Amino acid sequence: MRRVSKIAAAGVVSAALALTATACGSSTTSDSGSTGGSGSASSSSSGGGGKTKGVGMAYDVGGRGDHSFNDSAARGLDKADGELKLDSKELTAANGETESDRVQRLDSLAAAGYNPVVAVGYTYGTAVTTVAKKYPNTTFGLVDSVVDAPNVDSMVFATEQSSYLAGVAAALKTKTGKVGFIGGVQNTLIGTFDAGFAQGVKDTKPSVQLTREYLYKTDPRGFNDATSAAAKAQGMLDKGVDVIYTAAGLSGDGSIQKVAGKSGAWAIGVDSDQFQDPALAKYKNSILTSAIKNVDVAVYDLINSVKKDNKPKVGTNSYDLANNGVSLATSGNFLSDVQAQIDAAKQKIVSGQIKVSSTP
Amino acid sequence: MTATATQTPPPAAPRAAGGKGGRTRLSVPVILLIVAAAIIVVSAVRAIAGADDVTSSGQIAGALTGAVPIALAGLGGLWSERAGVVNIGLEGMMILGTFFGAWAGWSLNPWMGVLAGVLGGMAGGLLHAIVTVTFGVDQIIAGVAINILAAGVTAYLAKRIFNVGKAATEGGTPKQSPPIEDIKSFTVPGLSHWLSTLEKHHWFLISDLAGIVGGLVTNISSLTLLAVVLFVATFFVLWRTSFGLRLRSCGENPVAAESLGVNVYLYKYVAVTVSGGLAGLGGVFLAIGTHFYLEGQTSGRGYIGLAAMIFGNWRPGGLAMGAGLFGYADSLQLRSGSDSVHALLLLLAVLLLAMAIWKYVRKAYVSAGFALGFAVLLAVWYATTDTVADEIVQASPYVATLLVMGLSAQRLRMPKADGLPYRKGQGG
Repeated sequence: MRRVSKIAAAGVVSAALALTATACGSSTTSDSGSTGGSGSASSSSSGGGGKTKGVGMAYDVGGRGDHSFNDSAARGLDKADGELKLDSKELTAANGETESDRVQRLDSLAAAGYNPVVAVGYTYGTAVTTVAKKYPNTTFGLVDSVVDAPNVDSMVFATEQSSYLAGVAAALKTKTGKVGFIGGVQNTLIGTFDAGFAQGVKDTKPSVQLTREYLYKTDPRGFNDATSAAAKAQGMLDKGVDVIYTAAGLSGDGSIQKVAGKSGAWAIGVDSDQFQDPALAKYKNSILTSAIKNVDVAVYDLINSVKKDNKPKVGTNSYDLANNGVSLATSGNFLSDVQAQIDAAKQKIVSGQIKVSSTP
Repeated sequence: MTATATQTPPPAAPRAAGGKGGRTRLSVPVILLIVAAAIIVVSAVRAIAGADDVTSSGQIAGALTGAVPIALAGLGGLWSERAGVVNIGLEGMMILGTFFGAWAGWSLNPWMGVLAGVLGGMAGGLLHAIVTVTFGVDQIIAGVAINILAAGVTAYLAKRIFNVGKAATEGGTPKQSPPIEDIKSFTVPGLSHWLSTLEKHHWFLISDLAGIVGGLVTNISSLTLLAVVLFVATFFVLWRTSFGLRLRSCGENPVAAESLGVNVYLYKYVAVTVSGGLAGLGGVFLAIGTHFYLEGQTSGRGYIGLAAMIFGNWRPGGLAMGAGLFGYADSLQLRSGSDSVHALLLLLAVLLLAMAIWKYVRKAYVSAGFALGFAVLLAVWYATTDTVADEIVQASPYVATLLVMGLSAQRLRMPKADGLPYRKGQGG
C-alpha cells in the first residue's frame, strides 16, 4: 500500500516538474529568427555592434501563428521589416512559465542590443517594469497593459469598443434571442471584451439573453485548449444560443468549429480577421465578423518611431475606433443588412455620445 | 497444453481468486442494479433541481469525448504497469500521437493519421522500454524525460513542417497544423431521432434514459468505437490468454516468471510499446476531434489517464469508470457551468446519505456520523445558494476524481513488482 502512495506522489511531483520543464523547453526551441515575411529577417544576428540590432519581439503564449493578436503583432514587425530591413529576434512564451522566465526573456533581448523590445501581452507587465529600469536607453513596447516609465510605450487597445460593435451585430443577427460570450481566462483584459459585448447587446436589444462564460479562472491554458472551448460552445448551442463571441486566442478554433456545425448559428472571431484565416477556411461561412485589434498598427508605429524617426514613441498610447486601432471586420459581407446600424453605433462611440465600459 | 496448464498456474490461481472473493466481488446483476439505482437518483436530482443538462444527450456525448483520450492513455498505462514498468511518459507519447496523427491526417487522410499517431506513440514507448528495461534507468525519471523530449521534438518539427510551403498556405503555423478532414462517425438511424424527441419532454426517468442512450448512439466517432473494442480486447488478451498471464507475471514477480522460462525483457518491451501506441491513439483522438494539432493541446490528460488507471485498480473496467467519471464531470462544468454543478451538490448529499445509512447498518458509527454530517452540510449549501462559485465549478472534475480516489484507495492493489528495476538473472 505504501508503494501505491509513493508512486502516486512521485507521479504528481514529476507531472508538475514536467509541466514547468516543458515550458522552458518549448520556449527555448522557439528561439529563432523571423520565420515568416522577408528572408532577410532570418539572417543571422551577428552583424555590427549592439546598438544597430533590430527589433526584439517577445510574444505571449501562442506566439507567431496563433491567428490572433500575436500574429497581428508579427504583421506589424513584418511590415516594418519589409521597409527597413531589420534584423530581429523573436521569442515566445510557453504555458505555465513564471515571472522570472518573462523577465529573463526581455532581459536577454535588451542585453543583446535589440531596440525596441516589444512585449506582446499583458502578462509581461511586471517584467517590463523591471527590465525597462535596467536598460534606460532601450525603448520597450508593451501591448495591452500600462507601465509608467520614461522608456516604455504602453499600447492599450479599446477592445471594449470593437466588442461593443460585435454586440450590436450579435443582437441584430440572433434569431433565437440568445447570444453567448466565451472568454479564455477571466481577467481584466478579457473582461473588456466581455463588458463591451454585453453593453452592445443590451443597448441594441434589451430583450436578448446573454450567456457569459469563461474557460478558466486564472490558468493561461485557456488560450490554447480548443477541446474545452468546443465543449463550452456545444453546451451553449444546445441551449439555443445562436451567436457566440469567443475571446480565447487559439481556443477559439474549437468554438468556431462547433458553431459551424449548427446551421444558422454565427461565430464572432477575435483579434484578427478570422474569416481570412486559411486554417478556418472550411468554417468561414459561419464567421459573422471579427472584433479586430490592430496590434500591427501599434507595433509598426513604435518600430518606425525608433528606427526611422529616432524619436521613440513612449507613454500610454491608446488605440481605439477613432484611430483605427480596433475595428469590426466586414469580410464575408454577412453584416451588410445591418451595417447602417453598426456604423451609427460606431459614430456615437467616436463622438463620445456612447461611453463603453471596460469592466463587466 | 493441458499438462502444462495443470502443472504451474493452478496453485497461484485459486489464491488470487480467493483474495478477491473476500472483497465482495461484484456480479453482473449487482452492477446492473447499481447502474439502475444511479440513473434513478440522477434523474430525481435532475427533476428536483431543474438542471436538465445533467442527463441531456449533449452532455453524455461531451462526457464521452472527454473520457476517450483519458481512457486510452490510462489503458496504455495499464499495459505497461501490468508488465511492471511505470509509465509517466504517457503525456509525452500522447503529444507524439497528436503531432504525427495530425501530420499524416492532413497530408494523407485521417485513417493514415490514426496509424501514424499510433506509430509515433509506439516510438515513444519503445524508447521508454529501451531506457528502462535494457538500461535499467529509473522508470519515473525516464518517463519525465520522455514528456520533455516529446514536447520539444514536436515543437521543433511543427516549426519545420507546418510552417513552410503547402502547409503554411493551408493554415499551418508553428503552433498548429493545417486542418484535418473529419473521420467517419456513426448515428443509429431512426433511434437517435426518436430518442431526441423523447428527451425534449423532460419526463422523469424516461427522458433521462433517452438522453443518456441518445448521447451514446448519436454521432459516435469511429475512434470512440475503436477505443471500446480496445478495452474489451485488452481484457481478453491480458486476463484470458496465456500471453496475458505471462505479461502480468512480469509485473507481479519477474524472477518467478523468468524461472519458468518467460522472456521477461521481451514481454516488457511488448507491453511498453503497446502502451505508447495506445497513448498515441489518445493523442490522435484529440487532434482529429479538434481537426488540428495544437501545441499543448493534451493539457495534462496523460497524467489524468494515469490517475484514472490507479482509480480503476489497474483493471480495464475500473479504468473506464474512472475516465468516464472525469469526462462526465469535466463536460458538466464546461457545458453549463454553475447550474449543473449546483445540482451535483444535491446528488453528492444524497450519495453521502446513502453511505451514512450503509455504514450505520455495518455498525461503523463514526464513519456514518461523518458521512451524515457532510451530507447535511452539502444539503444546506445546496438549499441556501443558487449557484456555485466559478472556481469550484472549474475544479469540480479534479475534486470529484480526488474524492473517489481517496475513498477507494484502501482497496487498491498494484502489480507487486510495478516500478521495480529488474535485471535478467537477478534471482540467482
